[in-house]
Amino acid sequence: MKRNSSVISRRKILLGALQATGLLLLSGCENLFNQLHQNKKVLSLLESVEGLNRRLLRLVTRKNKLAQEFSEKDISRYFKPNGNPPPFNMQYRINATSGWPLWRLEVGGLVKQPGKFSLEEIKALPARAQITRHDCVEGWSAIAKWKGVPLSEIMKLVQPQPQARYVVFYCMDTDEEGNNFYESIDLHDASHPQTILAYEMNDQPLPVQHGAPLRLRVETQLGYKMAKYIQRVEFVADYKQIARGRGGYWEDRGYEWYAGI
Amino acid sequence: MTFNLMGSLIYRHNRITRCTHWINALALLILFMSGLQIFNAYPHLHWGSKAEPEEAFFSIYAATEDGEIRGYTQFFGWRVETTGLFGVQHTEMGPFPRAFPSWVTIPGYFWLAGGRRWHFFFAWLFALNGLLYLIYNLASGHLRKFLLTPKDITKILPMILYYLRLRRESPQEGEYNPLQKMAYTGALLVLTPLIVLSGLALSPQLNVAFNWLPAMFGGRQSARAFHFLFTFFFAAFTFGHIVMVVATGLLNNMRSIVTGWYREKQSSESPGTLQPLNPSTLEPLDPETSSSLSLRAEGLKRSEDDSDTERPDVAPEKANIQTPEEQSINGSKNEDKSLNPENLQGSEDNSEGKRSNDEKK
Repeated sequence: MKRNSSVISRRKILLGALQATGLLLLSGCENLFNQLHQNKKVLSLLESVEGLNRRLLRLVTRKNKLAQEFSEKDISRYFKPNGNPPPFNMQYRINATSGWPLWRLEVGGLVKQPGKFSLEEIKALPARAQITRHDCVEGWSAIAKWKGVPLSEIMKLVQPQPQARYVVFYCMDTDEEGNNFYESIDLHDASHPQTILAYEMNDQPLPVQHGAPLRLRVETQLGYKMAKYIQRVEFVADYKQIARGRGGYWEDRGYEWYAGI
Repeated sequence: MTFNLMGSLIYRHNRITRCTHWINALALLILFMSGLQIFNAYPHLHWGSKAEPEEAFFSIYAATEDGEIRGYTQFFGWRVETTGLFGVQHTEMGPFPRAFPSWVTIPGYFWLAGGRRWHFFFAWLFALNGLLYLIYNLASGHLRKFLLTPKDITKILPMILYYLRLRRESPQEGEYNPLQKMAYTGALLVLTPLIVLSGLALSPQLNVAFNWLPAMFGGRQSARAFHFLFTFFFAAFTFGHIVMVVATGLLNNMRSIVTGWYREKQSSESPGTLQPLNPSTLEPLDPETSSSLSLRAEGLKRSEDDSDTERPDVAPEKANIQTPEEQSINGSKNEDKSLNPENLQGSEDNSEGKRSNDEKK
């Protein structure tokens, strides 16, 4: 079996060579992919499937089909308050401790009837309560009960003009560099029955760390779309002229505008 | 590992198989690495719909113990220190908390948004490529050759015994042996759809469109755990696949999946038990190199009208039941099979041989 032994040694040599190339490839890969990712053309190619995702996923979803609603016993014991810390200014603090007397929701932009609403006025509008699952882009999910006014009710009052395509939410929270949080959704998601401006969480007034006094719930999207600490709603034809022009705080930092996936 | 120059070249993989194979390999590698980047954003797995922090059954994390930062991997109550590999990575700037190390993630640095971009782009490529592969192989009837049937299941044990040299005769019929059928059917037709479905079950929009999607895995968090678990099953399959490629002749296998041409092995020391003795085996081989050139030409000719290794004159129904000499032609995907020199003759001769053999049955 002389031939056999030579087969084994050759096999060893080849396996060794394969291992070496494997290690080289791994360290090379990291640099290669990092460089590719810095390349604007590569990045825009990668980003090109976002529109495909949006169209396909919406195509297969029946219009106004509801997200699964859970029961009281499914509510999470712990709900991670993600994102920026709550606004840290005197006005917000005073408002938060005294029931939002000075806070107003300003709704404007491409609408026929711009308006300002106090929290009491918003609570007087038709309300919807839902126990839904919040899916964070990081990977975790948490279930809570939300109560608020459907965005469609607000739309009935302010009457968006035909050229309005997006709803932009301007928020009171900022990051360490002072950039204000903002988000946008289109009218397709804005008119979904479960899309609400929530002022209650688990039968309690919306806690400060979860976006008091008012936050957005869009149950067909990931958590980062659901703006907290909302103070102004604007109907626009395009979001390109806002901040870095990609439709939201996280979008300006590389995340997809379409967060249904 | 023998790279025999004496064997004949056959056209084993057509253009579609070769292209889809390499696109698939690239897509899977990037999906795997970008997937680990996405996992790093929340390196815990849960069962059910929601993620209560204390209920994670699998976690990779960093903790400071004795004034030192250490990486741990935890599975239920079972915990191992994995500093340097999982949980904490040694970097130029000292130990750094990180679930999967930078050299297995895309991008290398921590960036969830970037990982998602790569993942979704290559998910499309993977899906479209896989669809092309599936449609082509369904249409050509190739899929049926490695589809595990109940009859094959009974042959799995005999095949293992055969490999362990505890059984003299191979229970193999057709191009793929029962173990290969099990591996390919499992990986391609069971595991792959499950990976795709568990991935789609993570999309909030698709959860609205299809309530059953997360439910079939026990909830969105379970779907995430399955997506991760199935991926590692598939990685194990890929590892086995690569080991087999190396073990059965790396250069020859690589040539066949790059160029399509595979050199059939001719081993003089083949054990007689591997192949039933065929009268034609006793015929001497043509030692002339010119004959192998003409064979190559013949193979080329065949490749034009026949996209698969299957011959056009063999009815699809019969493709599964193969005669010994057909095995020696098509069965070249199998391990160290001795080759019966009959395939050195023209393909027309072979098909005639098959017909007469069928008549005998």
